[in-house]
Amino acid sequence: MKTKNFGRFALIPYAIWIVLFVIAPLLLIAYNSFLDIEGNFTLLNYAKLFSPVYMKMMFNSFLYASIVTAVSLLVGYPVAYLLSRTKHKRLWLVLMILPSWINLLLKTYAFLGILGTEGPVNAFLEAIGIGGQQLLFNDFSFIFVSTYIFIPFMILPIFNAIEKINPSLIYASRDLGASNITTFQRVIFPLTKDGIQSGFQLVFIPTLSLFMITRLIAGNRVITLGTAIEQHFLVTQDWGMGSAIAVVLIIAMAIVMYATRKIMK
Amino acid sequence: MEKQKKWFANSYLLLVFAILYAPIIFLAIYSFNSGGSMVGFEEFTFEWYQELFTDTRLFIILLNTLVVALLSATIATIVGIAGALAIHTIENTKYKSMLLTLNNILIVSPDVIIGASFLILFTVMGISLGFFSVLLSHIAFSIPIVVIMILPKLKEMSPSLIDAAQDLGASRWQVISRVILPYITSGIFAGFFTALTFSLDDFAVTFFVTGNGFNTLAVEVYSLARQGISLKINALSTIIFMITLILVLGYYFLSTRKKPVMIGGDE
Amino acid sequence: MSNTIIRFENVTKVFDDHIVLDNVSFEIERGKFYTLLGPSGCGKTTILRLIAGFVEPTQGNIYIDENCVNKIPANLRPVNTVFQDYALFPHLNVFENVAFGLRIKKVSAHEVKERVANALKFVNLEGFENREITEMSGGQRQRVAIARAIVNQPQLVLLDEPLSALDLKLRTEMQYELRELQQRLGITFVFVTHDQEEALAMSDEIFVLNKGTIQQSGTPTDIYDEPINRFVADFIGESNIVEGTMLADNLVSFANRTFDCVDMGFNQNEPVEVIIRPEDLEMTSAETGKIPVKVDSQLFRGVHYEICCYDDFKNEWLVHSTKKVEVGSTIGLDFDPEAIHIMRLGETEAEFDKRLEAYED
Repeated sequence: MKTKNFGRFALIPYAIWIVLFVIAPLLLIAYNSFLDIEGNFTLLNYAKLFSPVYMKMMFNSFLYASIVTAVSLLVGYPVAYLLSRTKHKRLWLVLMILPSWINLLLKTYAFLGILGTEGPVNAFLEAIGIGGQQLLFNDFSFIFVSTYIFIPFMILPIFNAIEKINPSLIYASRDLGASNITTFQRVIFPLTKDGIQSGFQLVFIPTLSLFMITRLIAGNRVITLGTAIEQHFLVTQDWGMGSAIAVVLIIAMAIVMYATRKIMK
Repeated sequence: MEKQKKWFANSYLLLVFAILYAPIIFLAIYSFNSGGSMVGFEEFTFEWYQELFTDTRLFIILLNTLVVALLSATIATIVGIAGALAIHTIENTKYKSMLLTLNNILIVSPDVIIGASFLILFTVMGISLGFFSVLLSHIAFSIPIVVIMILPKLKEMSPSLIDAAQDLGASRWQVISRVILPYITSGIFAGFFTALTFSLDDFAVTFFVTGNGFNTLAVEVYSLARQGISLKINALSTIIFMITLILVLGYYFLSTRKKPVMIGGDE
Repeated sequence: MSNTIIRFENVTKVFDDHIVLDNVSFEIERGKFYTLLGPSGCGKTTILRLIAGFVEPTQGNIYIDENCVNKIPANLRPVNTVFQDYALFPHLNVFENVAFGLRIKKVSAHEVKERVANALKFVNLEGFENREITEMSGGQRQRVAIARAIVNQPQLVLLDEPLSALDLKLRTEMQYELRELQQRLGITFVFVTHDQEEALAMSDEIFVLNKGTIQQSGTPTDIYDEPINRFVADFIGESNIVEGTMLADNLVSFANRTFDCVDMGFNQNEPVEVIIRPEDLEMTSAETGKIPVKVDSQLFRGVHYEICCYDDFKNEWLVHSTKKVEVGSTIGLDFDPEAIHIMRLGETEAEFDKRLEAYED
């Protein structure tokens, strides 16, 4: 009971942070979305969002984000599961996360070389007779590199969820006659839903708003909402339009978070 | 049958690891290429490493990056500790969950939105874009991560520990400094290092809020990448990666040797 | 120096509209071993937390040494607590845990060393100074927690169900040790438990609590032999409680028969509750017994058999006996007039004491 007071004292710098860097930016974005490029009030920004260009962009953003998330889950879940069964699993896990500490632009840049027409992948493809392919500056390279970047954020929460499962639950399931596959379906998978949910959010939302990878590796096309926001803020200086897209993105994000929570329950 | 399964599992993991490390190895190999680009390996050379150490511009950028990371992580950790304590001590559940939601907004927000909204904020507040705005932004997006890393440790702490300290005569400040802080040390370190990595790794937010004349490594790489990066950068990232690798492995082996339990003799 | 160390004066504690303690008054004397006994939620831990200073009373006053301490925070009270989960600081070793209070008081390093060593000796933990808490067993942690409290030489040690996490054998050992420790130190212990055997074995005085009020206080024998109401009788040991009528002084009727007893001071034909402890019942043949009953079930309890019987009026009779009987057979129950204890319905502790005094004269 007495501890209440130091809580209040500690609240001051933290409260300042919340007001200044959480609430104020959100309000400013919302406010700016109603301003045109000269700073006059307008609803035109939102009207523009319903034009075919933006509708297609939104659709694409969600499509790409969904694909990247799905691929991350499909590739990442087995990795998390198999990692949890290895000896020295902590070490393997650290090694799995380690590459994500290298600046992701550098890694993206390396992929320009690896996937380039004269890179090792194409050399390999030619050697086995398939022949050289255009691997860069298209949807494939965008999805591949995005998955590469975000997959640790899928693996980590799922790994943690698997680790949290009490081993006797698995023995109990076996004891009750369940096969390996049934145990996975009925026990392990349901118990890792929380991990999948976090992984989903950690991959889907950032992918929705990626922009530098799009610029670097997807052929400098403005194809996602993230690129559009960057374009308006830093290139065309139309902050109003950029803010309007940001508002839509924030709302979409909130819906996604809410929906995943509902579905996973 | 069992053997076959195991072989399949191991090769799957191996393949994933290979892909994860491929770009890093690729960068490292070409850092020794005398050819000057990442296309076609000509001859082995240390030229890029030598050039790297004489490049003052790159050195300053590296220094900027480190200073911002260390400063922002330190300040964010201090504010984050205070925030975590505040959230933890609030008893009203409604108020508490509201604070937690506000806390998590920046964690789930995409970088672009954080960058864009901070850009508006700094413009409105009249803060010029440069070192200070970058530092403020990094502090701001690191605070909630620190809070999230510390809260579980606070939750895990039995409330009777605080009672016990008070019972033994500790004042409020002594309760914090002698019991709570030592107890949550691991959470504080985890928060600090996560904040550090987030700052070192950040590109998008910095890209939005930095001005002329102040660059971090990530922003520099981005602006160079579109014209083709000098292999000096390869050399730099190879060095950084090796240092990280040594630190992480060193930490891992030290920490497992101390506590044999941690190795987990699991099947 | 007055002999009273703690005094509660009409103390009420309300948490979120829920009355946890209802107008409680009592006194605690120096140098005795007190036990607060009751089921969970009866308010016993709240009393402890009020004394320690972790909570403030909603109404009423608390005095330590005749000074009102309502507004004195826990860290300034001459009281130390042994917590249920021991609350040992995991980041400190045994020595530093015990030294914690002394370090706060800025006691000199030399004195800290000496007093910690003494305290550890008191609880038989010499040589454990440099152990980490995680390396200690449950019983050892318990002792560290006790050493950490007594090293500060408090006037009062509060113990919040400290034995509940230990296994049965260790618990019994610790009961002896605690009792002995308290007598050696000569300081007041206030012990909270829900275990009646523990309370009976250790205490000088027991306060039986239920629903935020003190039901009865007294020595273990007082409370065991003369429970004031059904709750206390039920809570302290096992009892047979049946409805009866007080025909006159020393004459009671129950189970459709009339018996001699040693209780007085009731109205004529007053409805009462009659208690006979299972160990006071003797088994004889159906013809010679005072009450004929049919044996329903029998359990072997180690030292005795627990036999459950029913009389013709569906009253249950529990008998503790070293003899074995046949389930389903009819036997007789025999008992002395002194074994019968009569309780007045809804009598408070004050009224009870008054009645006892009246017929003791």
